[in-house]
Amino acid sequence: MSALFSQNPLMNGPNYSFSDTPVSHPNEAHGELREHRFNPYTDNGGSTLAIAGADFAIVAGDTRLTSGYSIHTRYSPKVFKIGGTTADQKDATIVLSVVGFAADGTALRERLDAACKMYRYRHGKPMSVNAAAKRLSTMLYQKRFFPYYVYAILAGLDEEGKGAVYSYDPVGSYEREMCRAGGAAASLIMPFLDNQVNFKNQHIPGSGEGHAIQEREKKPLLREQVEILVKDAFDGAVERHIEVGDGLQMMVITSQGVEEHYLPLKKD
Amino acid sequence: MDTLVARYSRPTYDETVTEDMEEELLDPVASGLSLKFAMPPVAQPSSWLRSATDDRMNPDCPIKIAHGTTTLAFRFQGGIIVATDSRATSGDWIASQTVKKVIEINDKMLGTMAGGAADCQYWLAWLGMQCRLHELRHKRRISVAAASKILANLVYSYKNMGLSMGTMCAGVTKEEGPALYYIDSDGTRLAGNLFCVGSGQTFAYGVLDAEYKYDLSVEDALALGSRSILAATHRDAYSGGFINLYHVKEQGWEKHGFSDTNPIFWKTKLEKGEFTNVTSELV
Amino acid sequence: MDHRPQNWGRPRDDIYGGYDVSYMAPNAEPNTHTQSPVVTGTSVVALKYKDGVIMAADNLASYGSLARFPSVQRLMPFADTSVLGFSGDVSDMQYISRHLTSLSIDEAYGVQDPLNAANLHRYLSKLLYSRRSKFDPLWNNILIAGFDSDDKPFLASADLLGTTYSSPSLASGYGSMLAQPIMRKYASTEEDAAKLTKEQAIKIVKECMKVLFYRDARSLDKYSLAVVTRKSGEEGGGGVQITQEKLEGMSWKFADRIKGYGTQTV
Repeated sequence: MSALFSQNPLMNGPNYSFSDTPVSHPNEAHGELREHRFNPYTDNGGSTLAIAGADFAIVAGDTRLTSGYSIHTRYSPKVFKIGGTTADQKDATIVLSVVGFAADGTALRERLDAACKMYRYRHGKPMSVNAAAKRLSTMLYQKRFFPYYVYAILAGLDEEGKGAVYSYDPVGSYEREMCRAGGAAASLIMPFLDNQVNFKNQHIPGSGEGHAIQEREKKPLLREQVEILVKDAFDGAVERHIEVGDGLQMMVITSQGVEEHYLPLKKD
Repeated sequence: MDTLVARYSRPTYDETVTEDMEEELLDPVASGLSLKFAMPPVAQPSSWLRSATDDRMNPDCPIKIAHGTTTLAFRFQGGIIVATDSRATSGDWIASQTVKKVIEINDKMLGTMAGGAADCQYWLAWLGMQCRLHELRHKRRISVAAASKILANLVYSYKNMGLSMGTMCAGVTKEEGPALYYIDSDGTRLAGNLFCVGSGQTFAYGVLDAEYKYDLSVEDALALGSRSILAATHRDAYSGGFINLYHVKEQGWEKHGFSDTNPIFWKTKLEKGEFTNVTSELV
Repeated sequence: MDHRPQNWGRPRDDIYGGYDVSYMAPNAEPNTHTQSPVVTGTSVVALKYKDGVIMAADNLASYGSLARFPSVQRLMPFADTSVLGFSGDVSDMQYISRHLTSLSIDEAYGVQDPLNAANLHRYLSKLLYSRRSKFDPLWNNILIAGFDSDDKPFLASADLLGTTYSSPSLASGYGSMLAQPIMRKYASTEEDAAKLTKEQAIKIVKECMKVLFYRDARSLDKYSLAVVTRKSGEEGGGGVQITQEKLEGMSWKFADRIKGYGTQTV
């Protein structure tokens, strides 16, 4: 595409009413002096993943926290319970995972938790997942011009008791999905989930040839299957991504509440 | 003098670690779709924001915002057809193939989403709120002209701050008939019969302009909308996924499916003999 | 907004100015920034053991590559319950230190328990995060050691961006590359750390300080060593004990065999 419209206006392609040549160091043009050069972001690595089932949802994340090539700690959770009545969140029904810049993630988690607690205080009932999902979206968008460097995934059970997973971009666009991987190894995990959860590119054997072959019917997975998928996804990511490893934290949301599991991952 | 004294006699710790959160917690209104945004404390916030988010100039930029792509809408005798693809990309990465780019502002009006996904979602939801407030205040539905103008004025007030949206508002009212407006983040607002918006716009225009007539039957109009998006998904790498099709009538809008492009493509090719540039044999 | 298909929806150079890479450059070379540390302290190392935490930091404040101030205390006790170790800018360290001293005095008038290390860590991480959000960071990486609300040994870090983490052993600066592997050899998990005695832990930390002095060009052989123990625990009353240490038994003989640096005689 870009070869078709050359960036150099002298060469070919359409000409525009404004200057078309890319500028790389622009500040003389603006005549502005910049006061300082401080990068408020860092990438703390790690990866998260969430899958919705018929009557449950699972959110998982590795527990490694890195900066550059240094592993700062092997146990720093990325998956949090949100909106319980107590500090230990034992009666929480919503789970949030954050990956990207850890300090922004913590700030966002605390804001959402406070909003959920405030909702409970005002309305006398816990916040539903779809309400919390919308709230998280506006919260991220409030920082549209100074974004949280965070890829968030929110999960819980909807009003019908079905598993719900909501995924976000850093400035708050969101979507309800069956599954989503976020963070450093998203590009390694997501194609695996497409195939194993949404049955993408899976066909019924012997259903025909060429264009006649039929797609495998989509149906929600069982909890046991999903737990295995999550472990496999992370084992695969650990094998091929340096920022993923150490431990796997897994939250299973069912009508009984939220169960937390911790499984070891490779520590190299 | 007092100010001087105050300046040099500040307590050794005057740091207040309060976040803007406090206000938001105590004020229920502020927690909704408010117009208060945190800004980076630099001289050129938009330039700073660009350096953090422009994934095309810097593929390694930290924050990759999901972008939307081909959308179209056109007026015809039976109302308005709105069609979109469903792909969202962050750089080369396909962030999602199932984005709902038609936003249901209310049960009579639709908005479309191209550009920053969050910008469109947030401001069209905000527009829905304004439309409802208009209904409550004036006891009648807002016209599409008025609704689109509210949005255009809003984005104009944020001009050059980094918003990216190209949206269309489609609705049918008694006063206006089928009305279609294009609004983008430059503040442009245009009324028109036919718009294609997004990186795949040229491909969609190619098909749509060739076949478009005002007198199209509803069935043909729906087929044309779908076919135009198909053309765009075929030639624009940033478009793809599913075809989201809507028909707006005076009674309100009607959804005509969220259909996978792949089977539609093969159907179009094999049954109608189009896309002959693509071979169906794997030899 | 750009309307050309190949760049649709993206910012236009003539409106936003060209893409400026320097905003998102990493903070790796601190002294290239205008707002940056001037007089700095190097690594801090800390290790948990069964009854508390050991922390050590040398007494040097460098001015670039100049060993400018050779007797600066970089470990600070807080309310006799916790210890803080600062690396990074010394003036920001002194600001935080003043700030915390008045905070501890204010808190001492209160009726509730004194702030423990976990409270202190949370407070500091909020302070650091709010300052980074104002683009006016306190250029430090702080380790906080003491006890949490359950009276278990506590060790955590907070840096200039507000990033926080906790681990059985922590080290900032060069320490994260040179000392962490040594400490992780002895205490890679909380369980392993809970088996270490005070003497073992001190020995490991001293070993780390030695390795750091051998290889970190901004380090010094005089350092402070803090031991935080439970108030009620030991007969000595516990709390925070900071002692001054000097590296001993060092040998530079190995330098004989190193070739490739400086004037070569062979």
